[in-house]
Amino acid sequence: MKKVYSYILLALLLAVISLPAAAQQSVGSKIIEKFDYPKLEWSVPELGEDVQREVLDNGIILFMMEDHRLPILGISALIRCGEAYVPIEQMAIPGITGDVMRSGGTTNIDPDSLNTLLELIGGRLETSIGYENGSASLSVMSKDTDLGLRLMADVLRNPAFPEDKIDLVKTQMKTNIKRRNDSPQRILSRQFYNLIYGNHPDGRIMEWEYIAPISRQELVDYHKKHFVPNNIMLGITGDFDPAEIKSLLNKYFGDWKKKDINLPEIPKVDDTPKPGVYQVYKDVNQASIRFGHLGVNRDNPDRFAVSVMNYILGGGSFTSRMTSKVRSDEGLSYSVGTRYQTTTRDLGVWWAFCQTKLTTTYKAMRLMLDEVERIRGGLVDDEELESAKDSYINRYVFNFTTPGRIVNRLMELEFENRPPDQLKKYIDNIGKVTKEDVLRVAKKYLTPENITFVVVGDPAQFEKPLDEFGAVTNIELKPPKLN
Amino acid sequence: MKRISLFLILGLLALFQLAPASDEITLDVKEKDLSNGMKILVVENHIAPVVSTIVRFKVGAADEHTRITGMSHFLEHMMFKGSKIIGTTNYEAEVPLMAKMDSLAELLQAERGKLRNPLLDGSQERADEIRQQIADVQEEQGQYIVKDELWETYLKNGGSRLNASTGTEGTQYYVSLPSNRLELWAFLESDRMGDLQLREFYSERDVIREERRQTTENRPWGVMYEAMGATAHWTSPYRWDAIGWGSDIENYRRDHMAEHFRRYYHPSNAIACVVGDVDPEEIFALCEKYFGAIPAGPTPPPVFTDDSPQKGERRVEVEFDANPIAMIAWHMPQAGHPDVAPLDVLSDILSRGRTSRFHKNLVETKLGRASGYISYSRFPDLFTCRITPMGDHSAEEVMEAALAEIEKVKTEPVEQWEIDKVRNQSDADFVRSLNSNNGIAYRLANYQAINGDWHYLLDYRTEYKNVTAEDIMRVASKYFTKSNRTVVTLVPPPSKTEELEASL
Repeated sequence: MKKVYSYILLALLLAVISLPAAAQQSVGSKIIEKFDYPKLEWSVPELGEDVQREVLDNGIILFMMEDHRLPILGISALIRCGEAYVPIEQMAIPGITGDVMRSGGTTNIDPDSLNTLLELIGGRLETSIGYENGSASLSVMSKDTDLGLRLMADVLRNPAFPEDKIDLVKTQMKTNIKRRNDSPQRILSRQFYNLIYGNHPDGRIMEWEYIAPISRQELVDYHKKHFVPNNIMLGITGDFDPAEIKSLLNKYFGDWKKKDINLPEIPKVDDTPKPGVYQVYKDVNQASIRFGHLGVNRDNPDRFAVSVMNYILGGGSFTSRMTSKVRSDEGLSYSVGTRYQTTTRDLGVWWAFCQTKLTTTYKAMRLMLDEVERIRGGLVDDEELESAKDSYINRYVFNFTTPGRIVNRLMELEFENRPPDQLKKYIDNIGKVTKEDVLRVAKKYLTPENITFVVVGDPAQFEKPLDEFGAVTNIELKPPKLN
Repeated sequence: MKRISLFLILGLLALFQLAPASDEITLDVKEKDLSNGMKILVVENHIAPVVSTIVRFKVGAADEHTRITGMSHFLEHMMFKGSKIIGTTNYEAEVPLMAKMDSLAELLQAERGKLRNPLLDGSQERADEIRQQIADVQEEQGQYIVKDELWETYLKNGGSRLNASTGTEGTQYYVSLPSNRLELWAFLESDRMGDLQLREFYSERDVIREERRQTTENRPWGVMYEAMGATAHWTSPYRWDAIGWGSDIENYRRDHMAEHFRRYYHPSNAIACVVGDVDPEEIFALCEKYFGAIPAGPTPPPVFTDDSPQKGERRVEVEFDANPIAMIAWHMPQAGHPDVAPLDVLSDILSRGRTSRFHKNLVETKLGRASGYISYSRFPDLFTCRITPMGDHSAEEVMEAALAEIEKVKTEPVEQWEIDKVRNQSDADFVRSLNSNNGIAYRLANYQAINGDWHYLLDYRTEYKNVTAEDIMRVASKYFTKSNRTVVTLVPPPSKTEELEASL
């Protein structure tokens, strides 16, 4: 596993570019225009057609899609729970619960036996609890379906939570806190979210003082409250027979009783802007820059226009305006661009990022902000708009390339209470975006006066102070408290 | 349910050894050699109307020498800059401008050389002036450039996972497309293979320098890998990382790159692999039409600089503003050697999964994390072990524990159930990997490139499955010796250590 270097660093690879006017076309593009592509036979997969949905008597919701090409079975579970629902002093409970459910074994099988059994059959079974959902996944050869389901049900229903495995995950989390200032990127991301969201679950920082006092009983109670059949969805894909799998599900999950569950409201994000420049000293030879502000959420009808706008600005990897200018023209950075979250429940963030040598920090930031001003200042070109929309529309099929992906998309939709036709309407919604929409959302959802800037590096070596962008505050990184 | 015990499971072992999962799986690869020597591999998968492609060139950092270290990787970036007909509206007008920049770059290099030499009188002002002149000519050339046209064309046609990567062994170009766009792929890939033009060379050189800062110089593991390569490999070209040395990057010449391209980027040194919703015959016809027209090239020069045999343990410390981590590596043989599979099985027994020895004896005792893995390289390379201490344990403590595990393997045969489980895990992962078009494409291209025949992917699986406890003991004793190993540790700089102590 030697280091391998890639052309671009991040996995999000959509792009747009300003094309030259027709008179200045390349010879190659004229050849490409003549290519006659056969029509792609494809439509967005649907419930009832491609994927079957059923509800067991105890409320477990099943999504099923058969695929007999390979002798494998995959099951993914979604459980409504997570860190977003708990106050700060309890923020470690969901994560530890999600870890020890699997690592600690069950009341029927000790952890060593569970691990050995799974590894002997080449199976995988994992659980975790994240921000807004718990998840579990099983992957076994289809010949081991019965055993796999039995173990998965056991882990979901009867985790043992032994003290030694609780201690182990606490030590791992402690180590993680101890090492949180080792790389510039970790510092940057943590400080940025904390400045934007404050102590809202989206922004708070994990500390040892929240981890140390957690007792076994709190984990047991957390599990008992959330892991009830009417709070679980299962996505089943691969080499299985529907009748057979349903009878196995009834066998291993059927006697699990329904129970009322009431989750508290997740606190609203405080949308007060927090403008300013925050510098964090780190002994490195490159500045890591991130700046942005709160934006939109998944219920906002403007989110399609926002996505298209952001792709033209800096989301379309390095043929977008910002990347083209700062990376390709000026050679100032390997990794520069913007991201706009449009699928979060509450307000997501827009941010721009860049890494550049210390002596060009100001220059890179200036050029990036100029692009923000430019997209707010006038209509984008027709070619930029078309290229962005084509890219979204033509690559949409890649969301649905395997049964696992298809089932997950449909399951997430229901989990997030979004309308069932939303996936089908996506292409239309992107197609409808106009240049005027792009300008309107740029003005409305990019607000330079609200930007929070975070820069990790050695400010003494920046070619110019950054106070032009706002009042400068230095954040001092103290060694984290670990006892 | 009765509580199941480990004893019971081990008793039932025979049950799980039956019918390994992958035996019934075949990999139906259609292949074709074009008359110019290019190899085409195609696998059908009709689950969705998409296709994943790879073009692999058999050139990487191991084919370089000092002065052009990292050149393969830089060339990979330049492959996105266009040809005579892509990325430009007037190629002829660009030529004199690029030549002008080359002359200026030579002046710049000379001036920098003077600046570095205390006996000569270099001028920083003069160097900055030349830099600015290069930038001015680049701006002038800008009027003819269609920025990132290849990239943009792929994306608006639904290109996904568009990227490229370079390692020590090879350089590969990836894109997944809706399956109706394959002609576009064949056109764009053959165009850049046949007719690359090195425009925007000097601004991209600066991008690469930033990439090196970001991925190698300012990341703890980046610093570690570079130190390990340079310490364990005294003489072989694995000495430098695929990104290259910083000062080589700053002084790259356009004519050196043109030479690198001429040597390695031609059909007889390339493999194309297409996996997805396709008809192999149609792909062969498309490849014949587009790639078939490119002339075969010269046989690439052989690489013969070996590492001199290591005589004695090597230890290095690197200072970096982070908590301690460590790496241990031993020299091991290249792909194709019969000792590779036993080392591979051993690495899995040590560090794959929750029942692995490192997990049981290091992680579960809260000492630290450790992982061991082999290289699968064209020339003798390293077996590497990465170490991250947990809690307040030192890197030395964790290293000692990891080394103790390795010592044990030399004297006591591993247990049969350990071999069985890594075999079954590996089988199951193989079956899972067949669900991914990208995964299949990458593996086929990799085996075809390194072993000269994609079938070795299957042969190697057989080798892996035939490994015995005796094989493992033998290779452990042969390679895991003190005099064959190199140890690198990352420590905070002295100033940081004092600061930390003062704060306690």
